[in-house]
Amino acid sequence: MPPRSSSASTPTPASTSFDLRSYWTSLIPVIDSELDTALTVRYPEKMYEAMRYSVFCGGAKRAPPVMCIASCELFGTPLAAALPTAAALEMIHAASHVHDDLPCMDAAPLRRGRPSTHAQYGDDVAVLVGDSLFPLGFTHVVTKTPADLVPRQALLSVLKEIARTVGCTGMAAGQLLDLTGAAASGEVEVLLVLEKKFGELAECSAVCGGMLGGAGEDDQAALRRYGRTVGVLYELVDDVLMESNGQAGKMRSNASVVRTLGMGRALELVEQLRDKAKLELQRFGDQYGDRVLPLYSFVDYAVERGFMVEGG
Amino acid sequence: MSDQSTTATQFDIKEYMIEKAAMVNQALDSAIPAKAFPQSNRLNEAMRYSLMAGGKRVRPALCLAACKIAGGLEPWALPAALATEMIHTMSLIHDDLPCMDNDDLRRGKLTCHKAFDEPTAVLAGDALLALAFETASNLSSYPVNVLPDRIARAVGELARCIGAEGLAAGQLVDLESTGLSEPVPLDKLEYIHLHKTAALLEAAVVTGAIIGGGSDEQIDRLRGYARSIGLLFQVVDDILDLTKSSEELGKTAGKDLASDKTTYPKLIGLDKSREFAEELLGQAKEQLNGFDPESAAPLVHLANYIAYRQK
Repeated sequence: MPPRSSSASTPTPASTSFDLRSYWTSLIPVIDSELDTALTVRYPEKMYEAMRYSVFCGGAKRAPPVMCIASCELFGTPLAAALPTAAALEMIHAASHVHDDLPCMDAAPLRRGRPSTHAQYGDDVAVLVGDSLFPLGFTHVVTKTPADLVPRQALLSVLKEIARTVGCTGMAAGQLLDLTGAAASGEVEVLLVLEKKFGELAECSAVCGGMLGGAGEDDQAALRRYGRTVGVLYELVDDVLMESNGQAGKMRSNASVVRTLGMGRALELVEQLRDKAKLELQRFGDQYGDRVLPLYSFVDYAVERGFMVEGG
Repeated sequence: MSDQSTTATQFDIKEYMIEKAAMVNQALDSAIPAKAFPQSNRLNEAMRYSLMAGGKRVRPALCLAACKIAGGLEPWALPAALATEMIHTMSLIHDDLPCMDNDDLRRGKLTCHKAFDEPTAVLAGDALLALAFETASNLSSYPVNVLPDRIARAVGELARCIGAEGLAAGQLVDLESTGLSEPVPLDKLEYIHLHKTAALLEAAVVTGAIIGGGSDEQIDRLRGYARSIGLLFQVVDDILDLTKSSEELGKTAGKDLASDKTTYPKLIGLDKSREFAEELLGQAKEQLNGFDPESAAPLVHLANYIAYRQK
């Protein structure tokens, strides 16, 4: 998407002064190493191998973990506080992909250019991989989060938040809504699918980072709105890019958002969402200075895609 | 021991189970969140359909009873108790799917994917798993004297027992062992049942004991109790599948025989299976010695109930 001059009323900090790419790419090996330890292969090997296959798919950007860590660091809390939750978010992300790809759902034979988990290991194993990654994320958060950095009460808020996110008011509802083809019917429905299927996890990542970092209620609420907006923005831009490249819709959602909205309206929404996300961050600038820059730069990245993030 | 047996005879397990089931059913019904938006009604309906399909609520009863025996009050453990039933239901929904055991009937009713459809069943299972953790992690649903570190420990235990170290691992090894020409060896069969069935009973008992404030030694004994009755549960299930009709069971009987599935009666014979069940029942009760007999009565009788149930 061509860079646009921001005509927004929101003042944009000098996000060019923050090197998101270095920040992001330096975190990926840290997150991957955390995942690697959590997913040490043991009996039954096939289960762990299939879980690893689903989590370590080439080029995974680890966006939810990075957003969680950045939100935690905003409050000056060390990365170690957020790392186990960051890994858990990626496990949950992978679990939702594995189930969404199943033949009875999106019937996606490929993910990131290689066979999806059910195509590689069978539908039955894929169901169980999803069912295992979710609780493993929980075990990981409970057993690995340093008690001296995170009070147990905050930890419980994180667990509850993750559970709410994937459940029947969140991603599961979004997936069912998407399957029914709701996104083809109008703007309200399109945005609902985007919010539930994609916005929820970004919201969860941002707010969990805040909870782990010690954010107060108002700060948590702002991070929640920020995360959700960025999640929706990212997917919307994905669809715009796909459509501009002449590809027929996209694999990740059953309806092409751009076709429902029209390109003009889609671009308008992109600008609105970009402004909204940045507006939510304003409160942090005064208090936390440059530590808010990673969160600002995510917003621009979601729109500009100025670089490629490649994971291991 | 004589004290325990006296108390035991006075204890009415049937009444106890009915009372707990009524409380649990009410709490389960109100635990399902209001639909997120009109179009998601189907998902909530499917969750409710399977969750309220008339289970005996053995896991919640174990969880509540374990909380009490460990020194707490039964209602303290209610959120964890509900979570175990939600997880149990989720595992049944996913287990029944065409790509898994492919069952049409469960508890005498159509299975979730038959009553709704496959994608809804997959998502209803996922959503129930999520709801279990949302419920169990919700600090505000516990009384204030249950401290957050106990709840966090209980949630960690629950998660460990149901994933790749527990329930799901048992299901995977079970799937891998079905349809082979060779019968499954006894140690593998035990692995399957300890994970597929016992792990969730273990989670129910141990989370209850943690929330009730049990000592590490008490928790260990109760874990041993749960593992014994978990295995017992499966041995009895195998026996019932062979000796009862579909009508009596409310599910397809004789399925194990038809599917070449390895069972205890097939491997060691019906008589030896019955002996093994008695042995496990004895082991389970032994773990309860040393606890206050009155608090132990529900667990003693739950073990008997699992051993002597007719369906």
